Amino acid sequence: MIIGLVGRRTPEGGGYIAVGAIAASVAVSAYLFYEVLGMGMLGGQVVEEVAGFEWLPGLAPIEMNLLIDNLSALMLLLVSFLCLLIFVYSLGYMHLEEGKPRYYAEVSLFSAGMLGTVSADNFLQLMIFWEIMGLCSYLLIGYWYHKPEAAKAAKKAFLVTRVGDVLFLIGILVIWNEFGTLRFEEIAPQVGVLSPQLLTLIPLLLFGGAVGKSAQFPLHAWLPDAMEGPTTVSALIHAATMVKAGVYLTARSFIFLVPVVPGVEPPWIAILVIAVIGGFTALFAATMAVVNYDIKRVLAFSTISQLAYMFLGLGAGAYIMATQVSEGSAQVSTAGYSAALYHLFNHAFFKALMFLSAGSVIHAVHTNDMREMGGLGRHLPVTSKAMLFGALALAGIFPFSGFFSKGEILSVTVEAAADHPVFYALYALGLATAFLTAFYAFRMWYMTFRGDYRGHEHPHESPAVMTAPLVILAGFAIASGLLAYGMNGFGNLIFYEEPHAQMPLVGVPVLELGLEAASLGVSVLGILLAWSVYATKRIPAERFTATPGRAFVHKMLSHRYWIDDTYDALGAKVVYAFARASDWFDRNVIDGIVNAVGRGGMVSATATDVFDRQIVDGAVNALSLETVRTSWRLRQSQTGQVQSYAWVIVVGMAVIIALVFGISWFLRLQGGR
Amino acid sequence: MIPLEYELALSALLFCIGLYGVLARKNGIIVLMSIEIMLNASVLNFIAFSSYTNDASGQVFALLAIAVAAAEAAVGLAVFLTIYQTHGTIELDKVRFLRW
Repeated sequence: MIIGLVGRRTPEGGGYIAVGAIAASVAVSAYLFYEVLGMGMLGGQVVEEVAGFEWLPGLAPIEMNLLIDNLSALMLLLVSFLCLLIFVYSLGYMHLEEGKPRYYAEVSLFSAGMLGTVSADNFLQLMIFWEIMGLCSYLLIGYWYHKPEAAKAAKKAFLVTRVGDVLFLIGILVIWNEFGTLRFEEIAPQVGVLSPQLLTLIPLLLFGGAVGKSAQFPLHAWLPDAMEGPTTVSALIHAATMVKAGVYLTARSFIFLVPVVPGVEPPWIAILVIAVIGGFTALFAATMAVVNYDIKRVLAFSTISQLAYMFLGLGAGAYIMATQVSEGSAQVSTAGYSAALYHLFNHAFFKALMFLSAGSVIHAVHTNDMREMGGLGRHLPVTSKAMLFGALALAGIFPFSGFFSKGEILSVTVEAAADHPVFYALYALGLATAFLTAFYAFRMWYMTFRGDYRGHEHPHESPAVMTAPLVILAGFAIASGLLAYGMNGFGNLIFYEEPHAQMPLVGVPVLELGLEAASLGVSVLGILLAWSVYATKRIPAERFTATPGRAFVHKMLSHRYWIDDTYDALGAKVVYAFARASDWFDRNVIDGIVNAVGRGGMVSATATDVFDRQIVDGAVNALSLETVRTSWRLRQSQTGQVQSYAWVIVVGMAVIIALVFGISWFLRLQGGR
Repeated sequence: MIPLEYELALSALLFCIGLYGVLARKNGIIVLMSIEIMLNASVLNFIAFSSYTNDASGQVFALLAIAVAAAEAAVGLAVFLTIYQTHGTIELDKVRFLRW
């Protein structure tokens, strides 16, 4: 199993090695998932610890272990399967690019990082692989490093996620300080030792890391720019896997959010913060997606928004669970938790599908701008159908997968509202987001595939190596919803992590017809609006910018609420002021010291110079002169006559032999006496 | 069975003949041949001691030395051929143009 996990680190060469390695890890992961499923079906739980090595020995050694429980088995399968599909797709998409070995090395390292993250058994190990992913993300966004925008976007992604990572690191240090261990299952029973403040602080710090990685407000700014990388990278890292690591981390931090120790008050504030940030970001990102013209950026905003749904689900679920636990009720509902992870699962498939379809479109028309597309449905039949499936799933239309998971998250939010009224507001936000989601998904689809072609290229369908993964993913966009529902709800697959599996849990899916109908209804409304604006043009798009107020809203959304500009300005101001201060210090203090040292140096240099010329140089010159003379004399003995050399050898040999015999004779005389 | 002394004496004689040729003759080809004689004298030593101690490894070395000698002779002849082509002589006291 360890070999299987290490196997995908073989980076060199073309993509075939990478594809082969990832296929092997898919097989391993599928086997693991099957095992876990078999043992953990219906209320059971399974934990497999693979003892690694002791990494930092000491009083409390830090070990590198593999932890395989329900949650990580699901993530392993999901990640490796998607990696496989995207690698295969890359064979076609990256066919004409330069530096393919670099690309495959980086994506392979990335998938190793992601798989390591989800199978880590302690926070430090998780952080290490987390950072590996951050590095690969940086490298891959900047894949076209000669493009200044790509290099800038890579830097931005790295720096913005760094803010979150620092919080994450602080969180880890606090955990270490409090518990003396970083392993999940050793921490879980001990959370009672924390003061209420720390219990609130730690999950918030961890959530800070998740916010950075999953591009939630206010650290969302990097993800849209990250679309400068190759589309496969966007699909792999910025839709399907890496950004999910934040959700995964928050799911892991349930050991703090919902303490398993009885009598410990759950950190309500932390839970609410998570839910509110999720709900807010969902709407916030969706509004920005509505006005964007770059096909990939629309998808990027949509990713942010969908990730926010997951956080909302986790927050609401944690609130319900925490309430039930603290009231000591006999059964604990895990609906929010499983709904969020269910959405993660579905979103990974349909968003990867949409990104890869977008990649196929870009491959055909060589532009990201949707204003230069249109009418591509005729030229790209497979791609357009695949994209339609993805858009339906994203919009949450029955029976596509998004319908089930999104509906479940919203239902959980309503359920949580019984415990805390804030969740009513969050439900409203979520419902509005669902409307906007459907609208922008179909705005994108109609602009790309319907109407008249507005570009200048000659589009053509992509090769089979690219369309095959699309078809598979399109199948999953339907099946992943029905599949899990057929198994009596995703909740019963119990993907909550091990410490909580001890509790009396029920995972009945929340499926209330009224709520489902509401979310379905707003989605249909959104699609209808998109249809009437962009397909039939019954409502002219200009009407949205007709009045100054509306134009202002459009401008605000196009500029992403000026948040990026604010960050830039803020960064520039602060850094510039700091630079000015440093400059002053430099000129007046450091330069003064340097100048004084310089003057002293000049005086001593003059003295040294005299000494150098007279004595050192004299000695050197004399030596070299003598060398020249000696060599001239020696040169006379080199006659060039081979036979005189032979004579010298013979005489020399004779002398040596004579000496050897003479000395041994002499010694024998001495010894004999 | 020939006594060891005889063989060693023959070998020493051959060696001296070769040494004389190397030191006294002017013609490069003759010098090369003399070197071969010296080499063969040492090979003879190998054989002599091999049969004296009943040890086959001396013969192995002899075969190896013969093989090396063949290669060496080939290289030497090629060198002299080139020298003859470029300078028109193989008189060793005239071949001194590699001197500084």
